[in-house]
Amino acid sequence: MGVSKLKSSVLLDEELLRFMELLELLEEKRTAFNSLIEQGWFSISKARYSMGNKQVSALQYASEIEPLVHVHTRTLDNGGVDFHTERVQQNYSNDTEQDARSVEDIGPQEEGVRRRKGQDNRGLKDMMEKDASHFGSTTNAVPHRKSEPNPGQDPLKWFGILVPQSLKQAQSSFKQVLELSAEIAALQTSVINTRQELKRLMKDKRILEEKVLEEMHSKTTD
Amino acid sequence: MAGRGKLIAVIGDEDTCTGFLLGGIGELNKNRKPNFLVVEKDTSITEIEETFKSFLARSDIGIILINQFIAEMIRHAIDAHMQSIPAVLEIPSKEHPYDASKDSILRRAKGMFSAEDFR
Repeated sequence: MGVSKLKSSVLLDEELLRFMELLELLEEKRTAFNSLIEQGWFSISKARYSMGNKQVSALQYASEIEPLVHVHTRTLDNGGVDFHTERVQQNYSNDTEQDARSVEDIGPQEEGVRRRKGQDNRGLKDMMEKDASHFGSTTNAVPHRKSEPNPGQDPLKWFGILVPQSLKQAQSSFKQVLELSAEIAALQTSVINTRQELKRLMKDKRILEEKVLEEMHSKTTD
Repeated sequence: MAGRGKLIAVIGDEDTCTGFLLGGIGELNKNRKPNFLVVEKDTSITEIEETFKSFLARSDIGIILINQFIAEMIRHAIDAHMQSIPAVLEIPSKEHPYDASKDSILRRAKGMFSAEDFR
């Protein structure tokens, strides 16, 4: 009985230490999380100051919004839940390059249909051949370009093409906040689970203590 | 990574929502239902509570971020939520700094939530 009581006390102490460690870690993450959010707001305010009061508001949100971050949850063996974020891979630089190329393509296409009078037949023939080959290449290129709005686009573009650096800083702060939020969610779950475990162990210890007391009492009466 | 992950929802003031949407959490689903609620001065508590409950009921939401001052308005609904998923995170707002003593999870963890813990 004495050994099991000692074992129960050791388990309780270990669990309590774990609980304290988790709380400390949670507080640490919370501080970082809160300061990053504050940094983000400060950058949004700076962007609003440079762009204008109405330019950074809920009115600018796109009509089609696709999430670029997902959170994956996994239940662990000890009853805890692991959260981790995953960002949808998007190559914004390639998108902008394609846009730029499509704008450049429009120029030569329109020039290609122009006809000039006063040229000899040979010159005209050459030009028609050139036009035909040019049209051939453009018809191949047309299906690639779609003017449909891309719902999965970078949210920065909702606020304009050339946004101030401060808005980009705000975005980067909030991206970090999102990663931290998954860690905090996992920690919160662990804290609650450890608390439950602590309660259970305390109850077990109390039962053991009561049994010991009863045994001692019965021995003294005998 | 098998399958699409869950979403992060947000209930907050304009700047909080704008920030998190910039971070890329926003979604408008097929029914045009967003995973965020911008709380204005004229937003009613009923609307906030209904939105919060609808987020809890959605199986595609993994984390709900809510400004602490808004969480205070619907504290009973937050305290009633006991499941691990979706996790509810109380966050500060521009005018109301984060107060750990008000946080639902921390209050529960410190044993202030039920008198049973003191026995």
